[in-house]
Amino acid sequence: MKEAMPFDHRPDTALGDALRRALDPGDAAPFVARVLARASEVRVASWDAVLARWARAGVAAAVFVALAAGYLVGRATAAPAARPSVYDALMAPPAHPGEVEIVLASVIGN
Amino acid sequence: MTRAAAGDRAAFGVLVERYAGVARRVARAVLGNPEDADDAAQDAMLSALVKLDQYDPRRPFGPWLLRIVSNAATDRRRRRTVRRVEPLDPGLAAGGPRPDTAAEQRALGERLRQALAELPERRRVAVVLFDVEGYSHAEIAAVLGIPEGTVRSEVFHARRRLRALLVDWKEEA
Repeated sequence: MKEAMPFDHRPDTALGDALRRALDPGDAAPFVARVLARASEVRVASWDAVLARWARAGVAAAVFVALAAGYLVGRATAAPAARPSVYDALMAPPAHPGEVEIVLASVIGN
Repeated sequence: MTRAAAGDRAAFGVLVERYAGVARRVARAVLGNPEDADDAAQDAMLSALVKLDQYDPRRPFGPWLLRIVSNAATDRRRRRTVRRVEPLDPGLAAGGPRPDTAAEQRALGERLRQALAELPERRRVAVVLFDVEGYSHAEIAAVLGIPEGTVRSEVFHARRRLRALLVDWKEEA
């Protein structure tokens, strides 16, 4: 046993050995097996958590896309082309101007 | 380490086997009770597995893991209900009869554990890591999150107490 020198930078092997025996946890195999068994569960749980997070984000994105699509489709179908009024029909340029002139000429000529 | 982080069970098993002893001893130094210590060491191992992606591979793995172990043991000690501490056998405390070497070793171990339990927690971990596990002051400072000079002081005070106990024990023998 060495003298208790302050700030001795070397491990005290006698004390270390005695402490090692005092703190000896026993056989490591059951402990290792227990940790590895729990590790599988933790890993599965962590994957579940990741998937759950992605699922939440996916549901939110799907709802958003559905709402946007519904809005666009609704906007396109809910406003059909307005039927022309009588005024619009009278004021619109004729589709075949020549026919009107022939009719007028025949009427005036008669 | 990389393989363990990627989910390689065998690689994680190697890590657990390599560090099981030191993790359990450090946890026992903090908690005293071996069952609690194993629970804390297990929690720490699993916590380390989950946090492996946070580990900086340029630094040594041992101190990183032992910091988690030390914190897990401290948390467990704070959380647990106060357990009844088995009183030290008066025969052992007085250095009583020692029928054989095995019994002597058990008795010495009991006395050392009692002496450790009387030390402040940080001092316990420091002396175990230094004298039992062979970690440097700098590494222990990283484990405990304290300056290196404080580690030296903690080791010194712990040794003084424990060496005195060992000397008494030898004189009695």
